[in-house]
Amino acid sequence: MTLDEARRYVLERARRRGIQAEVLGLRDRELTLRAHGGRLEQLTRATQAGVGIRVVVRERVGYAYSEHLSPEALDWVLQEAEENAALQHEAVGFLPEGTDLGEWGRLGQSFDASMERKQQATLDMEAGLRADPRTHRVPAAIYTEREREVSLGSTEGAAGRYRTGVAGIGATVVMREGDSIKQSADMDWSVRFDALDPGRTSLRLVERTARLLDARPLRTGRYVAYFEPKAFAQLLWAFWPLWSGKAVVEGKSRLVGRLGERIASELVTLVDDPTLPEGLASRPFDAEGTSARPVVLVERGVLCSYLTNSQTAHALEHPNTGHASRGYRGVLGVAPTNLYVKPADGLRRERGVVVTELMGVHAGANPITGEFSVQGLGLWVDGGEVVHAVEDFAIAGDFLALLERVGAVGTDLDWWFAGTAFGAPTVEVGDLSFAGGE
Amino acid sequence: MLDEALVSDILTLARARGVDFAELYVERSRRRAMRVLNGGVQEATSGIEYGAGLRLFYGTDVVYAYTNDLTAPGLLEVAEDLTRLRGEAGRVDARGRGGLDFRRHAPRGLHAPSVPFDEHPKSYRLERLREADAAARVAPEVRDVECSLLEWDQEVLVCNSEGGWAEDRRVRTRLVVTTIAQRNGDVQTGFAAPGLSVGLELFDCCPPAEVGRKAGEQAMTLLRAKRAPAGAMPVVIGNAFGGVIFHEALGHLLETTSVAKKASVLTDRLGEQVASSVVTYIDDGTTPHGWGSSEIDDEGMATQRTVLIESGVLRSYMVDRWGALVTGYAPTGSGRRQDYTVAPTSRMRNTFIAPGTTPVEALFEGIEFGLYAKDMGGGQVKPGSGEYNFAVREGYVIRRGRVEEPVRGAMLVGKGPESIRRVVAVSSDLKTAPGMCGSLSGAVPVEVGQPHLLVSEIVVGGEAR
Repeated sequence: MTLDEARRYVLERARRRGIQAEVLGLRDRELTLRAHGGRLEQLTRATQAGVGIRVVVRERVGYAYSEHLSPEALDWVLQEAEENAALQHEAVGFLPEGTDLGEWGRLGQSFDASMERKQQATLDMEAGLRADPRTHRVPAAIYTEREREVSLGSTEGAAGRYRTGVAGIGATVVMREGDSIKQSADMDWSVRFDALDPGRTSLRLVERTARLLDARPLRTGRYVAYFEPKAFAQLLWAFWPLWSGKAVVEGKSRLVGRLGERIASELVTLVDDPTLPEGLASRPFDAEGTSARPVVLVERGVLCSYLTNSQTAHALEHPNTGHASRGYRGVLGVAPTNLYVKPADGLRRERGVVVTELMGVHAGANPITGEFSVQGLGLWVDGGEVVHAVEDFAIAGDFLALLERVGAVGTDLDWWFAGTAFGAPTVEVGDLSFAGGE
Repeated sequence: MLDEALVSDILTLARARGVDFAELYVERSRRRAMRVLNGGVQEATSGIEYGAGLRLFYGTDVVYAYTNDLTAPGLLEVAEDLTRLRGEAGRVDARGRGGLDFRRHAPRGLHAPSVPFDEHPKSYRLERLREADAAARVAPEVRDVECSLLEWDQEVLVCNSEGGWAEDRRVRTRLVVTTIAQRNGDVQTGFAAPGLSVGLELFDCCPPAEVGRKAGEQAMTLLRAKRAPAGAMPVVIGNAFGGVIFHEALGHLLETTSVAKKASVLTDRLGEQVASSVVTYIDDGTTPHGWGSSEIDDEGMATQRTVLIESGVLRSYMVDRWGALVTGYAPTGSGRRQDYTVAPTSRMRNTFIAPGTTPVEALFEGIEFGLYAKDMGGGQVKPGSGEYNFAVREGYVIRRGRVEEPVRGAMLVGKGPESIRRVVAVSSDLKTAPGMCGSLSGAVPVEVGQPHLLVSEIVVGGEAR
C-alpha cells in the first residue's frame, strides 16, 4: 500500500468502528556521501516510510504505528491503539477540529543538483581541510540531504500534505601541533544545495579547531563567559523543555506559573518561528494540523508564552501555539522549530573565557532542575585579545540564573541544527563557575 | 522473513555488477511503550518496524541503501539503483553467475525470554508500573513519579554473498523510573532504569518496588545535597553505571571505526601498556541475557568475549567487517547498528572492568579531600584527542578517608589516556548496568560495568566559590 492508501484504509476502518482517528504519514528520503583520503568511501541512499495512528475512544487516547503497510499490519495497529487508549485513566483526550490544510511543496529545485556536483562538494570539503599542514586526520567529510514528506488526515476533517528538506556539508577533523591534538566537528546546513560552500565550511572548521591547539589548563574560578553562537545554541537545545507546555502540565518545568514575570536579563528575547523562509525546520502546519506562526517566548526578559499543542493548550488555558510534534513512531509532544535568541547591539570581549564548544550537554544538563555541569573548550581572553586556548574544564550553574546574568548579546546570529534549529548570537554571561585543572 | 530465492537473486545481481561483497540485513521489530505519570497512563503506543538494508563493498568503499519496500521488485530496484549509482554498471563479474548456497544459522535461544512478548494483558504491565510508583514515594517531598516500560522484540536476518545466512531474535525489556522531589522551591530528580535481554520476567529480576524506591531515595538525597566542589581531586567511582567512565574514556577509542582511520589516540598500540596495570577491560557480547547481548552481531557473525586490555596492556580492538578489511585485524563480532536505517560499525556490547582485589573501604583511606561518584549519568568522548566527560548523578564529598555530605551537579572531564593511567586501585564488587550508546551507527543497547575503583586525579566540574 502507499501512504495515502494506508491513510484511507485506517480512517475508513476507524469510522466503521465509531472511533476518532488521526493518521500521520511520513516518508523520508536520505542521500549521504562520505569522503576519506580523497575518495568517496561511503554512499547511503534510502527511503523510509510509515504511518502513526492516534485514536480517541471515550475521550481516552491511544497510539500505534507501522512501517509494514499491509491490511493485516494496519488492523493489528488499530487494535493495539484501541487497547492502549482503554488503559488511560483520565478521560480528557480529544482530536482537534480539522480543516483542509492544502498541499505545500517547499523544496522546489533546491536539491536538483547532479550527483557529480554533490560528490565533488564532499571531496572539496575534505581537500579544504587537508590543505592545512596542521591537519592530522580527517576521519570523515560528509554531504547529506534529507527530504521529508508529511501527510496528515483525521476523521475530524484534517487533511494536508507538505514537503521539507535540508542539505548539510561538514566534517570531523583532528589537528595537531607538537604534542597538542584537538578534534572538532561541524556541519553547515541549508534548505538549498547551492547555498552550501565546502570551501567556506572547511576554512572555518580549520580556523575553529586550530585556535584550540596548545591549550593550557584553566585555573578554577568564576569568570565572564562569552558563549559563541553554536555553544549557546547547544544550551538552548538542552533547556528548551523549560518552555514546553507538556513539561509545564506535568510539573517538569521551573517556569510553571511564571507567565508575565521577568525570568531573564532584558537583553534576552527568545523566539520560535516555524515560518522563516530559510528556516531549517520551517513547516506550514504542526503534527495535528495547526497552522504555523511565530511565537515570542521571552520578550526583553519577560516570559510571554509556552510552546503548546491542542492538548497542553487546553490543560493550561493557554493559546495553542501550533507546536505539536510527532514522528510516526512517537506520541504527541511539543517541540520548537527554529528557536533563537534575537541578536542585539553586539559586545566586546574584554576578560574571561570564550566558550567555543560544549561537550556532554546531553548528560550534564537537567532541564527539569535547570542545573548544568558540562565540559567546555575555549579561549582565555584578556585586554580584548586572545591570550591562549584553555582545556579540561567544566562550566556549572543554573540556566535560569545564567539568563539573568546575560550582560551583552552579539549581532552574529548562527544556527546549530539537530532536527530542530537552535540559533543564537554570541552571548556574554557574567560570573560563571569554571572548574579547571589548576 | 524473506524467501531464499529472492535473497539469492539480490546478492547475485550485486556480484554480477562487480561488487566484492554484498550483504542484506532484514529486520522486523515490534515495540511497545507505556508511560505512567503519578499512576495514570499518559501515553501507550505499539508499533511494527519493518525494513531492509543492502550494503555493497567495492574494496573498502561502501554503498548502502535501506527501504521499507520488501517486495521482490522493490528490493531488486534498490540493488539496481545502488550499483548504478556507483557508476560501475557494465562491469560484469563472472562470479555473479548461478545462485548462492547458503549456510543457515538459526537462533539457539541463548537469550530467549521466559515470558513471551504477547503474554499478560496490558493491565498487568500497568499494575507493575503502579507498584514502582507507590514505592518511589519515600517522602512527602517526592512530588511526581514517572514510570515507563519499554518492550522490544526484534527479528533480524543477515545474509551475504559469501553464503552466510544468520537469524537472531532479540527480546529486550526496560523499566525506567524518574522521580521529582521538591522542597522550598528547590527541585531535584532521581532515576533508576534496569534493562535486560528478557521479557516481562524483568519484574522478577528487578522488582518494580525496589526500582521505584531507588529513584525516590536518590531524589531525596539530592534535595539535601550541595553543589559539588570544583577542581582536580581524587575520585572513587562507584560500580555498575560507574563503568560509563571507561566506556567513554577507553571503549570508544578501541573501535575500528576510528582506529582504522588512525583517528584514535590509541591507534597502533597493540601490545603496549596503555592503562594502569590494575586495569583489565573486557567487551562481552555473550553475557546471558545482558542488555547488550545477542547471538550474532548485525553482520551475522557470532558474538564473542573480547579481552581488550589485560593488566594494562592493549590486547585487542573491537573489529567489524569493514574495520577488518582496512586494518587486517580479525573481526570480533562487534558490527552493530541501531536498525536497518544505518550501516553497521564497530561498537561495544557489554563492556566492563574486571574485578580487582582491593577492599572497597581501602579505596577511601588516605584521601584527604575528594569525590565519591556513586551514580553516574552519560558522557561523551572525542577519539581523536581523547577528551571525554561524564556526568555524576549522585556524589559525596570524601574528607580524611570518610564519605560525608552528598553533592550534586558535577561533570568529570579529562583525557582518556591520562585518566586510565591514573586508576590506582580496583575493588572486587563488579556490577553492570544498561544504557544506550550513540555513535555512527545510531543508538544501540550496551551494558557498562566495573567494581568500585579509585582514580588519583580527575577534574570535577562543580561550583567554584
